[in-house]
This record gives sequence, structure tokens and C-alpha cells, in this order.
Amino acid sequence: MIELTNVSKKYKNGVNALYDVNLKINAGEFVYIIGATGSGKSTLIKLLDGEEIPTKGTVKVVGTNVGKLRHSKVPHYRRNIGVVFQDYRLLESKTVYENVAFALEVISMPKPEIRRRVHEVLNLVGLYDKGKMFPNELSGGQQQRVAIARAIANKPKILIADEPTGNLDPEMSIEIMHLLEKINREEQTTILMVTHDIILVEKRKKRTITLQSGHVVADLTQGGYIRHDNT
Amino acid sequence: MTILRNFVRHVRDGFISVARHAAMSLSSASAVTLTLLLIAIFLVVSININSATANVESTVNIAAYVDWDFESDSEINDIKSKIENLEGVAHVTFSDKDTELNTVIDSMGSEDTKAVMEEYRGENNPLHDVFIVEVTEGSKIADVTSAIIAIDGIESADYGGDSTLVLMNVLDRVRFGVVILVVSLSALAIFLISNTIKLTIQARVKEIAIMRQVGATNGYIRAPFVIEGMIIGALGALIPIFVTIFGYIWIYQETGGFFLTRMFSLMPPHPTVLYIALILLGIGVFVGLIGSFMSVTKYLRWKR
Repeated sequence: MIELTNVSKKYKNGVNALYDVNLKINAGEFVYIIGATGSGKSTLIKLLDGEEIPTKGTVKVVGTNVGKLRHSKVPHYRRNIGVVFQDYRLLESKTVYENVAFALEVISMPKPEIRRRVHEVLNLVGLYDKGKMFPNELSGGQQQRVAIARAIANKPKILIADEPTGNLDPEMSIEIMHLLEKINREEQTTILMVTHDIILVEKRKKRTITLQSGHVVADLTQGGYIRHDNT
Repeated sequence: MTILRNFVRHVRDGFISVARHAAMSLSSASAVTLTLLLIAIFLVVSININSATANVESTVNIAAYVDWDFESDSEINDIKSKIENLEGVAHVTFSDKDTELNTVIDSMGSEDTKAVMEEYRGENNPLHDVFIVEVTEGSKIADVTSAIIAIDGIESADYGGDSTLVLMNVLDRVRFGVVILVVSLSALAIFLISNTIKLTIQARVKEIAIMRQVGATNGYIRAPFVIEGMIIGALGALIPIFVTIFGYIWIYQETGGFFLTRMFSLMPPHPTVLYIALILLGIGVFVGLIGSFMSVTKYLRWKR
């Protein structure tokens, strides 16, 4: 599903973000990516969704060589990937329903299909009765669930969650985790979750990839976090 | 089906955006209005100058006078065919000196003078046989005249003097100036609209970012902005169009269809004003399209 081979990324301003990263993630996996600020997590996400091109090596996602993708092909490729952010990024002027429908409208899905799918995903995230509400009328956890609903609305093969629990209290975080696990299970979506939350990683063990200064320093299939001497 | 649905959606979004940023839209539409008003004036002037020039050009003929030693029929025919073969000559009419004298005598007012002029009939006729030469284009008149003078048996030739040529030169320059002005005013309007659209884009960066994230194509993201620009351009064209239509009809009625002299007759309002209205609407929409397209493309280009 995702395959990085000898991937290095150096930005134009000289910053080296990733060094010789090799990584393979299979379809249907749920993977944590952890690491301190500046460890290369964001760059990894940008390489996966086609925003950045690797300086060296190849990034292959669902059979597409992302680095070689022409500009005009990027939007269609991106429909394979849903992204959820720490700050939700919802449109304040649109209702919950409209926020989710928006993601489907812009990829030219017919209206009846949009209606059906929006109801389906709002059901999945447990916000079926909140369709007419505006984002600022919802709690943080609910807003994040709207964002997740939007990200999975067009059935992406991969869901990248960038610190989805970063702004939430532990209780809400667990709720979101349950939801992501449910999506992973029910929609067979491969999930990459970037997080700082060591406690969460320890509590709900899954394959964990640790990045440090642009290197993959640990990749534990059994999960958990190894504390290094220098951290 | 998809295309139609998207189109309706983009047009709706375009109108909503124009309404949402009413003040901004209005300010750049008024810039377009000002530009188009100036363009409208220039168009009216230029269209009329064009027709006036054509009028003047068609009334300017060359008079070629035949030398007294070349007045036999065969010589006349020879000269006539030589003139006809010159480049830029449209039509040649021969008028012998007796006819010319008749014309002169007829133009005299009093009977006394006419009687005096009668003396010059026959052998005493001081006039020359004349060829009246029409040229295909006014600009060729000087060249054709000198070519005619070079023909054996032509004593002299003239075309109403340099003033005709100067007038035509001036009209040509005015035409050129109008084109330059219209182009630079359009550029100004494009710049203003592209700035307005830039502000609209800034107001919608979040929306655009989400569109990109969920895989909307650049064309899809661009469309509502471009339509918004076209709407602003069309709105800006409204006032100039009405001013042109009613203003021109009024001027035409007030002046009776002539400007200063009979030589400068004005173009009739129909269908002239309709053409101008269409041109103005076209320029407005086009300018809006170019301006908005430029700023969205600039915004989208460097991001994947």
C-alpha cells in the first residue's frame, strides 16, 4: 500500500528533513508515527499526499510513484488519501452536513449519492443528529469527528491523522481512537496516525514507527515506545 | 451531466462571491466602468473617423492635365491606357477641354461674364484636356500622382493639395492612438480585477486548502473565481453600454447626423450602438476573465 525506498528530503532552504528512509506499510494496517517536533513527521505526510517531492528515492502509494506525479494528476491521486488535522479545519460558515458534502461536491459526485454517503459517514462517526449544526456549536471531539467523516467520505484507501487527539482531553482522545479503529475495521482503511501522545501509544498498542531527526530509529510491530538513552 | 451540474454550481458560487464581497466587487467593477466609458468614447469617435476617412478618401481624385501637343485621339487613348495600367488606379474618366470650358462657363454667375468667356471657345481655349483619376486607396494618392506626371504627354497633375494628405495622416494617427489607449486601459482594468480576485482568494484560502486536500482539480478550484471576475467585468460594462446607447442616439438627433460639415456625417445609431454595446460587454467579460485567471493561476501554480 505504502512503500518508501531510500527516501531523502532536503528542502530548498537547506533543511534536511528525512534521511534514507525505508518503510513498508500494508493495506489495512493501523500504524502510529511518533517523534519529536522536527523529526520529519510532517515531511513524511507531505511526501505521502503528494505536496512535496522526495529529493532521493521513491515514494509509492497504492501503486503510484508519487514523486513522479505530474501537477495535474495530483488532485486525482489525492482522492486516495484522507487527512485529518489537529485543528479540524472545518468551514465555519457551513453546517456539519455541508462540511462533509463539500468534500464530495468538489470531486463532482452526483447529489443523491452525496446525500446517501454523508448520512452514512455521519452515522459511522456518531453524529447523525448533528447534521444541521454549525462547527462552533460542537465540542472539540465532535468537531474532530466531523473532520474524520469528511476525510473518509470519498472512501480513501489511506487515512492520515495528524495529531488528531492533540487538542482533546484523554477521554475524548480515547473516543477518537475507538472511531479510528472502527474505520480501520469497517471500511478497511489503512490508517497512519501521527501523535505525540506516548500514553495513548502505550495503552493501545499497534505497530509504531519512531522518527528522530529524519531517521527511522524504531519500527516495532508489537507496538509500544522504546525510550532511548539520549531522549 | 456532471459538467452542467458543476457549471451551475460555479456560476452560483461566482454570484454568491460577488454579493458577499459587494464593496470590493463594486470598486473593481467601477474601475472597469471608467475604463469602458473611455473606451466607449474612443470607439464612437474612432468608428466615425473611420467612416469619415473613407468618405474623404473616396472624394479625393487626381486631375491629370494633358499637354497641348498631345491632343490627338490616338495620343489621348495611349495616355489613358498608360494611366489605367498604373498600380492603385481605380477608374479613369476623360474630359476634353471643350467640356471643361463649358463647366467653367456654366459655373459663372452673370451673363456678361459668360459672354466674355465665350471668346475662348475653339482655337483660343486656354484649358487642357483632363483625366479624372480615382485611386483605390487614399494613401496611394501621392505616389499615383507622381507616376502620372512621369507619363509622356501629361503636363501636370494634382490632387487637391497636401491638405488632403495631412488630414488623412492625422486621422490615421488618431486611429493608432485610440488602439494604444484601448489596449493600455484594458491592461489597467485587468490589473484592478486581478487584485480584487486576489483579495477574494485570500478570504477563501481555507476553503481552497480543503478543496485541495480532498482532491478537487485546479480547474474546479479556479472556475468560481474566473466566473466571479467575468461577472464583475460584465457589471462594469453595464453603465458604459447604456451611456453609449442613449448618449449616441441623443447626439445623433441633436446634430442631425452631421459633425461640423457635411463631409463628416455620423454613423446612424442602428446598428452602430449595438455593435459598440457588444464590444464593450465583450471587453468587460474578457478583461474579468483574464484578470481573475491570472491571479488564481498564480496562486495555484506553485502548490501541489
